[in-house]
Amino acid sequence: MGKPYILLVEDNPDDIDLTIRAFERNRIANEVVVVRDGAQACDFLFSEAHTHTRGLPALILLDLNLPKVSGLEVLQQVRAHATTQLLPTVILTSSKQEEDLIRGYRLGVNSYVRKPVDFNAFVEAVRQVGLYWLVLNEPPPTAGAGGM
Amino acid sequence: MADAAIRPDLSLVLERITDGFFALDAQWRISYINAQARKLLHVRAECVGEFWLDVFPKARGRLFEREYHRAMRDQRPVQFVEYSETAELWFEVKAYPSPDGLSVYFRDVTSRIEAQREVERTTWRQQALIDFGRAALAGATYDQTLLDAIELLREILDASVVDLYHYDRSSGTFSIMRSEGWESGAWIDPHQPPLEHIAAVVRSGEPFVCSDLRIDPRARSLAQLERCGVLSCVATLIGTVQAPIGTIVAYNAQTRTFSVGDVRFVQSLSQSIAEFTSALESNRLMSEVLESIHDAFVAVDGDLRVTYVNRRMADYWGMTQSEIIGTRLSAYTATFESDGRVLGLYKEVLREGRALTFEDHNRERWHETRLYPFGNGVAAYVRDITARKNEQERVLELNAELERRVDERTTQLEVANKELESFAYSVSHDLRAPLRAIDGFSQAMLEDYGGGMDQRAKGYLDRVRRAAQRMADLIDALLQLSKVARAPMVFAPIDLSGIAGTVAAELGDSDSQRSVEVVIELGLTAHGEPHLMQIVLANLLGNAWKFTRHVERPQVYVGKNSEGEFYVRDNGAGFEMTYAGKLFGAFARLHPSDEYEGTGIGLATVARIIHRHGGSIRAQGVPGEGATFYFTLPAREP
Repeated sequence: MGKPYILLVEDNPDDIDLTIRAFERNRIANEVVVVRDGAQACDFLFSEAHTHTRGLPALILLDLNLPKVSGLEVLQQVRAHATTQLLPTVILTSSKQEEDLIRGYRLGVNSYVRKPVDFNAFVEAVRQVGLYWLVLNEPPPTAGAGGM
Repeated sequence: MADAAIRPDLSLVLERITDGFFALDAQWRISYINAQARKLLHVRAECVGEFWLDVFPKARGRLFEREYHRAMRDQRPVQFVEYSETAELWFEVKAYPSPDGLSVYFRDVTSRIEAQREVERTTWRQQALIDFGRAALAGATYDQTLLDAIELLREILDASVVDLYHYDRSSGTFSIMRSEGWESGAWIDPHQPPLEHIAAVVRSGEPFVCSDLRIDPRARSLAQLERCGVLSCVATLIGTVQAPIGTIVAYNAQTRTFSVGDVRFVQSLSQSIAEFTSALESNRLMSEVLESIHDAFVAVDGDLRVTYVNRRMADYWGMTQSEIIGTRLSAYTATFESDGRVLGLYKEVLREGRALTFEDHNRERWHETRLYPFGNGVAAYVRDITARKNEQERVLELNAELERRVDERTTQLEVANKELESFAYSVSHDLRAPLRAIDGFSQAMLEDYGGGMDQRAKGYLDRVRRAAQRMADLIDALLQLSKVARAPMVFAPIDLSGIAGTVAAELGDSDSQRSVEVVIELGLTAHGEPHLMQIVLANLLGNAWKFTRHVERPQVYVGKNSEGEFYVRDNGAGFEMTYAGKLFGAFARLHPSDEYEGTGIGLATVARIIHRHGGSIRAQGVPGEGATFYFTLPAREP
């Protein structure tokens, strides 16, 4: 099993670059694996990841507006699968629409972060998320024990 | 053979008896006739020896002849009663035969026979009167009843002429109602009875009886009546002296002595006619009412036979009124009602004695029928309510149409709302992402390549970033505006003083360099949606905070005036009242954005919230002196 990595589910290339840049600015060394839509995310989590030597990611950063399969549907499947149901998942999105917040939490998201327009504020947000979920927070046991 | 001469002593006896007596010999010649017989038969003693039928020719062919021959043939006595035209009297006759001849005794029994006949006539008259009354009751027409009465008078009194006059009491004039028997050309004034004494009957109530008009001093128009061929008459009042209806006059072609029974008979007949007339009069009144009402009307008896039907109903049934009366109601209900229940409803009214109303649709018409128990039958009023029904249906259709349109409109609104929601959703997601890229990459450029840029280039990138941030704020404000327009309203008591205090504290925290004097009246309470009212106060206080930035001693006052308006007052920049109307529109700004930042949506949001509460909002301002925003909230939910 390799170093814990982050799965970034994001279709917008600008946001991908800015998010990775924010991680770099915060000197977060964990690898960021990017998938570009919800279908890819599911494929990765439910088949590829199992053959992957690294196993499941330590954290999923999930955008909501995704082609094919939406972020909330990905979340629903993640929580439905035995292997991924405890996986720390953070919604990282532009909107703070009430219905998104409610549905996200109802489906069992661990955290909901709105991407600020101000890049400096965004960098700060990414810093806190990384610090909290990768350093401060104790991961669920299955994430480690269940890893292949 | 009878003795030609009766012995003197016997003769004496025969002369004394009160019976009439005569004897016939074997050759049917009168051999003896006593004084009484001569007197009764108007013959003289000289007739003795003559053939009896030569003396009494009127006896030929009568019972007298037949019985006497039988007595002689059989040699047995006979006894009979017969009217003698010779004597114009009724005789009871006893005849005793012998081989020599016939002895005949007879006596006058006229008064006895008359009395008997009077009894018979009385019985006959009574029966006639009963029959007449029965026919009148059975619903004979007035005309028919009068004709029946006339017929009775002709039959029972041998009247040759009968006149029925109507008497109009108010004008005191007569008019002939019915007149039968006058020979043509013998017509008497139809507006006046021929004798003053007949006319007087309606005033006195006493019958006028005259057995021989030729010798009656009261009959002054004798010539006229005689010419008309009548010699006696009886006239009686129809009705009462108090309410006379008219008079009935029966004339006879012969002289006639009217018995008390005769007169009583005419009076009874008049009485029956009067009763029938007044019954008819009340019927006529009732009928006039029933004919004039707009409803169709039918009355039935306990056997559901029609006793009365008005014209309107008869027309609907396509028959005349007289054709319908007396027939069974079922014949019409079967044809003209939609189902069998109608007849059942009539029966129910008969059975329960309670009125009921029902509606019926048939032949493309709507009818409302009201049934009332009436006598021992049912009265039915039928009204055509087609127009009303159509109106009702039209109203129902209109309502349905209206409802359908409201539904349609609601659906359209729901669709529009859905679209607005998804629009807001997409704005929230998709419009912000490019802004983040603009800001993020501008920052990246500054960080990565800032070293090679002069201050001016860096300034441009800063402005790009500020513009992006401002647009992000605008998007958020717009989203809030659309949210307050759609948010569900959950009303609750609100502590406005408390909310204002919290908002002011937050403003103070976020801008700790400034010192703003905020005064909030205690006990400002209202009824409304707490979250939305929080947005209102945040915006109003936020504005006050913002626009007092350049004032030396900034003051903000939150309170309630004597008109019950809540207000937020500041001593800041104020505004020109000319532009007061523009304040509450979205994106409306009265100040340059580099002087007072803002989206221009805040007051639009406030106004939207107040209006959704059913309240109102207005603003007052003086440039350089400050602004006051007044708003009201209704005591109850709108």
